[in-house]
Amino acid sequence: MSFTNPLGRGPTVFVVPVGEAEGSRAAAAALACEGAEADRPALLIEVGGRPPRPTLLATGVAQGLARRLGAHLPQARVAARGQVCHLAVAAEPEGWEEVAAAVDVARGAPAVIHLPPASLQDALTSQTGPRPSAVLLRADLDRDRALVGLLVRELLPRGLSVAVLKSRLPWVGERRALFGALPAANPAGLPGRMVRRLLGAGSESGQALILALAGALALIAAALALVAIAGAVTGKGRAQRTADLVAISVVRSMRDDVDRLLAPPRLASGSPNPNHIDKRTYLGRARAAGLVAARENEVDADRVEITFPDAGSFAPVRAKAVITASLEVGGGEAVQASAEAEAAAPYGSAAGGATGMASGGGYGGPLVYRDGEGMRPDVAAAYDRMTAAARADGLALIVVSGFRSDAEQAALFAAHPDPTWVAPPGHSLHRCATELDLGPASAYAWLAANAARFGFAQRYSWEPWHYGFATGPEPCSAAGETSTTVNGAAAGSSSVPAFVPAQFRPTILRAAARWGVAPALLAGQLMAESGFDPNVGSPAGAQGIAQFMPSTAAAYGLRNPYDPEEAIDAEAHLMADLLRQFGSPELALAAYNAGPAPVEACHCIPPYPETQAYVTRILAMIGGPGLMPMPSFEVRLVA
Amino acid sequence: MAERGQATVELVAALPALLLAAMVALQLLVTGYALTLADGAAEAAALALASGGSAPEAARQALPGWADEDVSVSVDGGTVSVRLRPPSPLAAVADRLAVTSTASVRAAR
Repeated sequence: MSFTNPLGRGPTVFVVPVGEAEGSRAAAAALACEGAEADRPALLIEVGGRPPRPTLLATGVAQGLARRLGAHLPQARVAARGQVCHLAVAAEPEGWEEVAAAVDVARGAPAVIHLPPASLQDALTSQTGPRPSAVLLRADLDRDRALVGLLVRELLPRGLSVAVLKSRLPWVGERRALFGALPAANPAGLPGRMVRRLLGAGSESGQALILALAGALALIAAALALVAIAGAVTGKGRAQRTADLVAISVVRSMRDDVDRLLAPPRLASGSPNPNHIDKRTYLGRARAAGLVAARENEVDADRVEITFPDAGSFAPVRAKAVITASLEVGGGEAVQASAEAEAAAPYGSAAGGATGMASGGGYGGPLVYRDGEGMRPDVAAAYDRMTAAARADGLALIVVSGFRSDAEQAALFAAHPDPTWVAPPGHSLHRCATELDLGPASAYAWLAANAARFGFAQRYSWEPWHYGFATGPEPCSAAGETSTTVNGAAAGSSSVPAFVPAQFRPTILRAAARWGVAPALLAGQLMAESGFDPNVGSPAGAQGIAQFMPSTAAAYGLRNPYDPEEAIDAEAHLMADLLRQFGSPELALAAYNAGPAPVEACHCIPPYPETQAYVTRILAMIGGPGLMPMPSFEVRLVA
Repeated sequence: MAERGQATVELVAALPALLLAAMVALQLLVTGYALTLADGAAEAAALALASGGSAPEAARQALPGWADEDVSVSVDGGTVSVRLRPPSPLAAVADRLAVTSTASVRAAR
């Protein structure tokens, strides 16, 4: 252990005997030995003591110090003994000057000054002498406890470190110390703690400084470590963020293009529709949009993988993006961040035709209502055919229960917790919007005989009312909602309301498929406009089954408004444009009735009673706007 | 213990340095946190942009209340930049340490 402090001043320790205590000189010598190092001697100064004699066993550095002292202080009595350079001065004021000079010459070496109690007062108050950093008292406490107490009380306020050696060193220790040859950690020497206290006192300020510096460094190191960890977390977060943004960009492109995908490939004239794009182009454009987003977020295209989970459907609206990122922190480990997004109708929002959207079950798509019960549009179409057949046989079918969300199923199960009759939530097929509980009881026999003709199968032998639609798209999975939004809407295109006269059904279905408008919407409109009378006119000048004004008819290339085939096609074309312009069936209907300008002005159904009644009547007739093939989609992350 | 008292006294003298180091460390951490917040806000703003919403509003909503005064959002096409000044006792330090996070997305037309 080194006791040199950064300022170049070694510790200066006074060793003073108290009362008649013996062995203080040897204790001072032992302390000096402890302070000496291989390349640096210690200085031991005897105040008022005998002149020392040199020994043969003196180290070179001790002899060197002795020579330097001899050169600076010609009268001084100097002797090198072992590792220690001894110096004797008189207990006079001149002696103190010599002590100060000797400490200066020793330059940083520990100086132990052994002085009689009588000189202590002078030594402490002297202006010329060296200032001590610590005092070692050699005292027999049994006898001189009070005296030691007084002394310590006087020394402490001077900022001195004080130690008391309660007994003299063992004989061997004393002899070796006086010869300057007491190795450190010798059990015969002074206790190590005492040595550190006495010799370390002078350099304590340096230690405190080092301590503070070390503390500061530790703090900053801890902060930097945290920053590194945070950097790793941020890197992972950034990868995830990019995945999110890429997925949403892909879906945004789909959202922008889906109406072009669904636009009829050929115009009425038979020439290709410039607005139409095929599925390959559609997906290619979507992928390109994702890669652009990746590049702008500073991720290489080769680290991005874009897939389309519902690519098999005719209008995919989902995208998944996986980003492989390597993190600098944590050994360059590769992490993958993935995100999935979809374009779909807003959750639980009444705007934009979401009232007919199923949610919270195994199916997420448009619902068509029969007798107030929701079902998938293709199920509704099949049910309509079956109802017509039953009516022909003199039976009026009713739907007792259709789509049930998991929450509704949970309420039902809570009321009848018997799995034979009520399936637990998540297990009922009613969550798929393909299951119908039918009535009345008098129709069970007819259903058992005829339902299969319309694609319905009785699910359980003990439930004569429960029929499931067994054809068409896969019923929902237990995993959760399947995305059949657009598929479902397409399936809805086969659904024509029962009120449509048979001769107009093919025409309506054709026009609806061609322009991507729900047939139910067209049918509802025709019912409201003309009651399916192709020859009707109006006082305002509207003509034919779809009640076209001549100017509008001209704009849509409708030559003969009284020709149902042509008029219905133009109606579908106009509705498709209005749906695209206003984004919701309610507003499109309002614009059809009142003209686009007032709807555009307030982006609402204009406050004309006629228009409001028109919209309400049609929506009520077709069971809510859930039939719309294109409700106002929003883009959102789903995983 | 005289010595221990002395050490304590000297430690008190070194306390400002220690305090300064602690503040520097704290400032670093706060800055890092601000960067994480800015990242999140930029993503929220970009997602809003993709669904046709207001990017600055979404960014502000994604940030805690104290950041209202310290954030600036700029939108250029489909690119959102969120600049956030970390909290700091010195305004000049906060300006110097301001973090920026940028996110790009295909914006709604």
